[in-house]
Amino acid sequence: MRRVRLGALLLLSVVAVGCAHYPLNAALPGAGGAATAYRFPAMVPDRPDPADEIFVCLSFSGGGTRAAAFAYGALRRLQDIDVGRGGTKRSLLDEVDCIAGISGGAFTAAFYGLHGSETFQRFYDRFLVRNIQRELVLSTLNPVNLARLVSPYYSRIDLAAELYDRTVFDGATYTALAKRRRPFVILHATSMANGAPFEFTQDEFDFIGSDLSAFHVGRAAAASSAFPFLLSPVSLRSYPPAPGFEIPRDVSRALETREINPSRYNWARQRLDLMAGKDDKDKKWVHLLDGGLADNIGLRSILRAYDRSGGFIAQRINAGHIKRLIVIAVNARTDPPEQLSRQERSAGLVDVFMKTATVSMESLSADTIDYAINRQNEREQAETNVRLCNQRLIGCGAQPFPSFAQDLRTCFVEISFEGLPSPAREEFLNLPTTFSLPEESLKKLIDVAGTLLDGSSSFQKLLRALRGEPRPGAGVGESGNCS
Amino acid sequence: MEYLIVRFPETREVRVDGLPQGRTNIILQFQAGIHDVTLGPPWNFAPLEQKVLLVNTAALDPYCVEFRRLPPAAIPISPGSPP
Repeated sequence: MRRVRLGALLLLSVVAVGCAHYPLNAALPGAGGAATAYRFPAMVPDRPDPADEIFVCLSFSGGGTRAAAFAYGALRRLQDIDVGRGGTKRSLLDEVDCIAGISGGAFTAAFYGLHGSETFQRFYDRFLVRNIQRELVLSTLNPVNLARLVSPYYSRIDLAAELYDRTVFDGATYTALAKRRRPFVILHATSMANGAPFEFTQDEFDFIGSDLSAFHVGRAAAASSAFPFLLSPVSLRSYPPAPGFEIPRDVSRALETREINPSRYNWARQRLDLMAGKDDKDKKWVHLLDGGLADNIGLRSILRAYDRSGGFIAQRINAGHIKRLIVIAVNARTDPPEQLSRQERSAGLVDVFMKTATVSMESLSADTIDYAINRQNEREQAETNVRLCNQRLIGCGAQPFPSFAQDLRTCFVEISFEGLPSPAREEFLNLPTTFSLPEESLKKLIDVAGTLLDGSSSFQKLLRALRGEPRPGAGVGESGNCS
Repeated sequence: MEYLIVRFPETREVRVDGLPQGRTNIILQFQAGIHDVTLGPPWNFAPLEQKVLLVNTAALDPYCVEFRRLPPAAIPISPGSPP
């Protein structure tokens, strides 16, 4: 009799945990929106925010613990750089306004967004030095979790999200992230349905009628790092649009001119694809994979904020609030020696899986860097043209041509292991993409981020400009990008 | 990028696609494509809004869109309402 009871109890427990379900994102409460909407603060046109004057955005690429440690090293170096003037002490890190994070880089971005300078006391032990991979495996082998994994509504990524939430982010939600005004942290994932980038911001959640405030940062980081085949996607419910929600005008207008601007059109189309119908019976879900599939550098969201009329950078540039725009891409890309082309037999299934998931990342990343450089040069060129034209007009006694609200100084810096001399270059380019690295590698990665920033001529030029120093030796001011 | 100048006899806030974007009589930059352009209050201007297609512009050859200042008797209390 006792055995029967024990068996029944065991069966009931298995059924109970086997009915496990991933935590559903909340619907928006209605008109008025989320309680603590995680958006970049609205711009007040005639009241420039002093924080906008030097506008710094960082992007942290994907690449597991390697990327997280490299990004951490970059933060640490920026903290050491004093850009204060007139006796005031202010680090370049204090000037950071937005951070875009992908996969491994998303952990550093989110942790810094939550804890600010305390990151330098806590993040190393909390995340970097841990063997997250082993912890994930052990968590999967736990009998209770094995039973939960039987449920079709609960998978390995949900276990990972719980682990990150509990042991890295202390259960923090986006309400906690919103408490620090800046930097604004944009974690990225990729929609499985159409390969579109997905940003964890309230602007994006508006399209799925959902409230980001109560969403756990650990779950967003899990979505950002849900590498295909190794982890399952994070699923979100797309609810009917909240009452009062209107499709932003730059989205609706983008749909009218596909031939003139296909990338603007595609972005707008993808936003509408996220939306569920107005009828609640027409249920819809968004399944999210690693953010690196759509953009492994994380620069695209920053570039969209620069390009779109509704973008928080574009608005501030047109209003003349930003005097200097600095974008630093921390790219932990690797390039291990290629083995496939040295073997006669065809590639195996695992190789095909891995290559399918990573090959497009490489070419997309290179295109994104080119795009950022072109945007920087384009603005500098436009300002130069107007300035030179006006010099001539004034010289001829004519009325000058209208100018931009503000001559914008731009600076784009990318640091990657490619910038190192051999043999360090090869050593870093061969590091694996994993959530576990030996301490020796971690320390080298943290240090090398500072070395690369210090070795970047653009970055050094920028620092001289920020400190108001003349070019060494020449005794005259510098010109061009980053000056 | 594409370039736009919004002409108006005085300095006034410019709104593009429903959001504030700088002011009148300066060069503004936007993505190529269609945008809705209007001005901030008071509503003493006409037309109320203009739909523009920005393509193939340059900083020295921007798209110019002009708003007229209305005489006091023709100013509506709110956008679209009768004077």
